[in-house]
Amino acid sequence: MTAFDYSAAPYAVRDDIGREHRAFWQRLAEPGSWWAGRERVAIARASRRAWDCRLCAARKAALSPNAVQGEHDDDGELPPVAVDAVHRIVTDQSRITRRYVEDNVTAGLSKPAYVELVGVVVAVVSIDEFHRALGLEPEPLPVPQPGEVNRYQPAMLREDIGFVPTVPPEGAVGNEADLWQPMRTANVVRALSLVPDALRDWRALASAQYLSFAGMQNFIKDEARSLSRMQMELVAARVSAVNECFY
Amino acid sequence: MLRASAQTTSTELDIQAVNGDAGSAAIGIEFGPELMRFAESVAHRSADLPKRRQELIEAAGPAILVDAAGVAANFQRMVRIADATGIPLDSKAATASRELRAELHLERFPTARYSLPAEVKMDA
Repeated sequence: MTAFDYSAAPYAVRDDIGREHRAFWQRLAEPGSWWAGRERVAIARASRRAWDCRLCAARKAALSPNAVQGEHDDDGELPPVAVDAVHRIVTDQSRITRRYVEDNVTAGLSKPAYVELVGVVVAVVSIDEFHRALGLEPEPLPVPQPGEVNRYQPAMLREDIGFVPTVPPEGAVGNEADLWQPMRTANVVRALSLVPDALRDWRALASAQYLSFAGMQNFIKDEARSLSRMQMELVAARVSAVNECFY
Repeated sequence: MLRASAQTTSTELDIQAVNGDAGSAAIGIEFGPELMRFAESVAHRSADLPKRRQELIEAAGPAILVDAAGVAANFQRMVRIADATGIPLDSKAATASRELRAELHLERFPTARYSLPAEVKMDA
């Protein structure tokens, strides 16, 4: 059976959306830079379980997430520190702090591994949320593929924004030349660049679900979309406001 | 981006739509109230999502529903990237959006703390 076959969906879904969802599902199953295929699929599974996790619900209601201790609803496939990170990113992302990320390093979740984990979680969230928004069932997770992680890190990194090292604006050269046009980037683009494939994944998904980098320069209307740019940005801004996203 | 697209198209806009005012969303944006309510239902993961979906289909049709679902899902991702990595506003955007942030009271959001100290430094 073909993954993301939208032909039976009650609404016509653009071909590029199905194509990018299938392409990500294939990459999800393969070894990444810091997590094996089996672990990446386990991260995806944990992302789905987080929404109904009782510990996450109790923490979300508490003044501080650290005030509530307990165990996440989890199947034991990942180290507890990774499960906690996945669940917080899904259910309580606005209270993630630098100290939390640093403490996770001490507990065995390195910053590159954390960044790849963030990349997998957010990609799965965006695909699953697309389905939920349209009333479609979530796609079954892919079968993990064997293989080794490559432990790749960009040659040029800087710790000048956020909690993790990122490729600086002038660092899109060599293997990273495709990440952005020289010196034309933004912090949200740099955010996952410690693991370049994680940035490539979000860019590919965004190009189908929202706009490509080039398409973002068009403030009127992309001909391939039914929404005007103003309509798109109203949806984007309202989702961000509900999530209390300052960025 | 919302204000920039309104300025580019010389469209009147009431920015309070961002904070969930349906009357504001009706100004200058076709199907604005339906799009706004659908977006917030997705983001809140509300039980009224089927109702909001139907409301949007009836007002605007299925193609707009699908594209709106794509954008909403995309920004369910983007907020998590920004917050999980603690990135601050880009310095140009921080300066350009100061008035807008005040208008919308965005500094009430917890993650404002990653951007505001930099801005204070910039002002000093």
